Amino acid sequence: MSILTFILFLPLLGAGLVALLPKTAKGLIRAVALASTALPLLCAILAFLSFNGAEAGPGGYKFYQKVAWVTALDINYQVGADGINIGLILMGSIVSFAAVCVARSIQDRTKEFHFLMLIMIAGIMGTFMSIDIFFFYFFHELALVPTFIMIGVWGRGKNKDYATYKMTLYLTLGALVALVGLVLLYVQSGAKTFDLIALQEQLRDNPISSDAQTTIFGFLLFGFGILVSLWPFHTWAPVGYDAAPTATAMLHAGVLKKFGIYGLIRIALPLVPQGAQAWLEVLAWLCMGNILYCGWVAMRQKNLNKLIGNSSVAHMGFVFLGIASMNLIGISGAVLVMIAHGFLAALSFGLSGYLYDQKKTLDMDQYGGALRQMPFMGTLLVMAMMAGCGLPGFANFAGEITVLFGAWKSLPWFVTGTAWGALIIGAIYALRAVRKMLHGPVANDTPPLQDAANYWIKLPYVLLVASLLLFGIFPSLLTDKIRTSVAKVVKSIEAGTQDQETNLAEESVKTELDIQLAGQD
Amino acid sequence: MSGAFILAWMVLLLPLVSTVLISCFTLKNDKLSARISIGAVLAGFVMSLLIFLSAREAGESNITWISIGNFQATLGVKLDNLSALMLLIVTGVGSLIHWYSQGYMKGDRSYSRYFACLSLFTFSMLGIVLASNFMQMFIFWELVGVSSYLLIGFWYERPAAADASKKAFLTNRIGDFGFILGIIMVWAATGSLNFAELKGVFEANPEILGATAGIVGVLLFCGAVGKSAQFPLHVWLPDAMEGPTPVSALIHAATMVAAGVFMLCRIFFLLSPDALQVIAWTGGITALMAAVIALQQNDIKRILAYSTLSQLGYMVMAVGVHAPGAAMFHLTTHAFFKAMLFLGAGSVIHALHHEQDIWKMGGLKEKMPATYKTFLIGTLALCGVPPLSGFFSKDGILAAAADFRHHGNVFLFAIGVLAAVLTTLYMARLVLVAFHGKHRSEAADHSHESPSVMTGPLWILVIPTLFAGFLPIESAVNHVAGLNHAGDHTQAPLAMAFSVLALLIGGSVAWSLYSKAESDPIANRLHGLSTALKNRLYFDEIFNGLIYVTHEAVSKLAEWIDRILLSSFIVKGLSNVVDVFGRGLRLFQTGSIHTYAFLFVVGIALVMFFVMGGVL
Amino acid sequence: MIGLEHYLIVSAILFGLGLMGVVMRSNLIVIYMSLELMLNAANLALVSFSRFTNTVDGQVMVFFVITVAAAEVAVGLALIVALYRKRQISEVDELTSLKL
Repeated sequence: MSILTFILFLPLLGAGLVALLPKTAKGLIRAVALASTALPLLCAILAFLSFNGAEAGPGGYKFYQKVAWVTALDINYQVGADGINIGLILMGSIVSFAAVCVARSIQDRTKEFHFLMLIMIAGIMGTFMSIDIFFFYFFHELALVPTFIMIGVWGRGKNKDYATYKMTLYLTLGALVALVGLVLLYVQSGAKTFDLIALQEQLRDNPISSDAQTTIFGFLLFGFGILVSLWPFHTWAPVGYDAAPTATAMLHAGVLKKFGIYGLIRIALPLVPQGAQAWLEVLAWLCMGNILYCGWVAMRQKNLNKLIGNSSVAHMGFVFLGIASMNLIGISGAVLVMIAHGFLAALSFGLSGYLYDQKKTLDMDQYGGALRQMPFMGTLLVMAMMAGCGLPGFANFAGEITVLFGAWKSLPWFVTGTAWGALIIGAIYALRAVRKMLHGPVANDTPPLQDAANYWIKLPYVLLVASLLLFGIFPSLLTDKIRTSVAKVVKSIEAGTQDQETNLAEESVKTELDIQLAGQD
Repeated sequence: MSGAFILAWMVLLLPLVSTVLISCFTLKNDKLSARISIGAVLAGFVMSLLIFLSAREAGESNITWISIGNFQATLGVKLDNLSALMLLIVTGVGSLIHWYSQGYMKGDRSYSRYFACLSLFTFSMLGIVLASNFMQMFIFWELVGVSSYLLIGFWYERPAAADASKKAFLTNRIGDFGFILGIIMVWAATGSLNFAELKGVFEANPEILGATAGIVGVLLFCGAVGKSAQFPLHVWLPDAMEGPTPVSALIHAATMVAAGVFMLCRIFFLLSPDALQVIAWTGGITALMAAVIALQQNDIKRILAYSTLSQLGYMVMAVGVHAPGAAMFHLTTHAFFKAMLFLGAGSVIHALHHEQDIWKMGGLKEKMPATYKTFLIGTLALCGVPPLSGFFSKDGILAAAADFRHHGNVFLFAIGVLAAVLTTLYMARLVLVAFHGKHRSEAADHSHESPSVMTGPLWILVIPTLFAGFLPIESAVNHVAGLNHAGDHTQAPLAMAFSVLALLIGGSVAWSLYSKAESDPIANRLHGLSTALKNRLYFDEIFNGLIYVTHEAVSKLAEWIDRILLSSFIVKGLSNVVDVFGRGLRLFQTGSIHTYAFLFVVGIALVMFFVMGGVL
Repeated sequence: MIGLEHYLIVSAILFGLGLMGVVMRSNLIVIYMSLELMLNAANLALVSFSRFTNTVDGQVMVFFVITVAAAEVAVGLALIVALYRKRQISEVDELTSLKL
């Protein structure tokens, strides 16, 4: 049995246990939830560490496992990890554990909340490890449904219902559009299978016609794009995250949202590369919308959560720029940004949740000099803001800079805009938040804000910051794994678009060299 | 890896270890924190001295940071004359300022945090100095920016300090924006980020950047414009004086602002003639403009800040006229005497309980003899009195600017001499007003000499201020920068003559104006100009208008579009259309069976008509 | 000679009468009787087809219809009685919501 199966089913098992426990046994419920995310975390760390030594299965996937489910349609439970998703799985387990730790503040209907949260976590894990398109989609929906319920029931603020409706409608719409794309892909490929490896092999030899590819990529781009808050389909994100309970916002913004990007990199780019090329220009312009426009919107926010929400939309622009670059460096950078942003979004929403629990508002004007009252949490918030505006030492910088380097050759003006958004606009809103909330004269708070009292409260935040720093200082821990797998994606892009673009041949020699090099490591 | 490289790695990492130790473990133990921090930088100084004196060969030692395809970024240490010299300056001046801070910061409730930040700054600065490639330089460039942010905003509860730190960071970021684009363009053209490799590439093919050479040069220079506070990004430096005075001395006089000049010397080989023209003129304009503004400032630290700006302008101008050696030489001597001047100012401010207006001082000569003597020596060095160190280094720059046959320019030379006159004028004004004459306030009357922990570093800094002028820095750096001539000194006598002339003019004008003055005599004569100078020529306002207001306006527009157009109009509009449609359909749902039955029959009839209509 | 068309015309008239009753009358019991009339009109048509084509399919169908109609009458009348007991109504115009 694959170690990934443990990571997937332990939270489900935990959810089952929580459902059986009596409502009043809150301590026990939390213990079960903690255990059923801590164990997968250990498994994920183990898998990450042993990744390079692990035996590779079909398609180059490690920790591979396949169980037949519906043979008539060739749907299989099929999990595996390569360089692209191993980092996501690790990030997902860390964020899940942190989210369960933070869910301490949920006092009302604790049992139901933890049950839903564990289902969501299992869905998240399943999404990122599935290499069967059916289960890839199924697990995402499995995670999405609890998200809506959690925001609707445990959400905060007077806009709660509106936010729930908006998020539900947007995300369902996005998932449906993506589903149309996936079904079209299934039908057009003629492979009669949901198995990603088999599909890839089939399409390598008999690619779909160029026009059909353009249609399919369009559906996938906008479907997945809506899920990742691609401009101008982003307005659900700030509203939704503002209303969501802390743990839900951490899980969705940090991990589940990455489903769309992961789908684009894993399915859309290698399977319909000519379609991707047709949409490249559009994607590059939309990513400007994310980075510049949403950055500007973030500048005007008065509410911390809305600011973080908008800035997290802006950060997605880097990923889209990396995808639009369609080369090894850019896509590797995009994957790195995905992972880094997962930690960062979880950390930011976790901290804002802590502040909300203390003061019952996130209006930045009502704070002041909070660094004096809460030196520990305040310092972490400064670090989160700094990571958000791309300070070296945090993983975000490594990813963003890689994207900028990768995209320069094909999209220099877009890189210029992105760099401006990252360096200037990002810094303006991040520093403004720090100035308003943490610096300046101490506000008259009754009761005064409390700093984190003990190690248990600090643990999730420290874990997330430590991950950001670790992968920021040693990004090659991730990039050495990522580049080998991305090289394969790039290779199939190049193979698929060769008849259109002959001048890419020179690049492909380089990537092949790179694969060989990576093989030697 | 040879011994020198191991030492260099240790010099780099010790302050980082110190930061981590202090912030994780000893925040509550002030004494221990100070000791850790001072120990780290002192050990670094000793090792830097060993590196400097050892018979080392130029080279580097690297570890991989990111490696994807041909994007190869490394972290490493590069040792050559340039970096060994900078190591010595950073750790040397750094040690003294760490030591001095013990006294200055005594009793502050965030004493440990101060030393953690100071160590972080030292680490970042050493990272720039030792950088072997562009990526590392950019990484530490940003880290220097953030540690300066933390230190300027050290007293973050004061709104002025918090705003100043924000402004410093953002202004630096504008420079960094150009810097990173320049780096990416160099990489795209050559495929390498490593300085040594790039140097080889440029020696083999000087035209590799092609038509973009000028743009690349200017973009890279943007980084220096931000960090070394050149016109028009100089606005942050005077505000940065809101930080504790030792920080002003270390960061905003001796080391961080020198990073830009250091970087220009490091990458001198890839700057095109066009870019160097831009650099020279930017430096010249900064030198003159800052000196003029300094004339009408009354805050002792701000006068020194503008003086720093002016001197940095000199250095940048030196790079622009193909004299990186002279720039580094002046950087070195300036680091010593400007640090001393700032620490002297700190001593005065400490004694006067944070009074910074020079017109409220006066007569401190008798009250604070040690501070006065060292401050006077520093002033003389800054004005370029022979044979103090400042004389030689300033002379080197003027000589390069006067080398009209090669890269000099008569206008730049004139600017240099004029700035030298003004330097003497405003520094003499400062000394005469603050230290001579009568006490003009109660605080000045009750002042007393600072403790020896603060005057000690002042006396130590006197030594290099007196003698650094005799070091062979210029030729050593020119060699590294790829210039084979060891500094052309054919114009030295001319430069020297003008420099002494400038000194005499500035000194005599200052003496006649300020030796007996009770208030500023030229303020009344200059009227509007004086107000403009006091308001720093309105650069802050202009800058505010250009960057801040435009961004603010665009962001207002974007937010409006987001809130009104997207969220309300389109998204809610769509949902409203669905809603109206639903309401319309609801009219048919009367609930009456008769209506339903009737519609049912009509429906059936219609279906039958359409299905069987053809048959009938 | 009376042929198939005559039977069908009678059946159509009966069906039309029933339909008119269902749509236009407001008493529940009358509507119910009209419904039965429509069913029997259909039965008549089926039987006549069976007679004139010499097959038994139509007659088999009629038996099914009678059986189902019987069941329907049982359920329907029970509902009407229950409604009457609860709300004292037998007019459909008063029945415009699904709630009792």
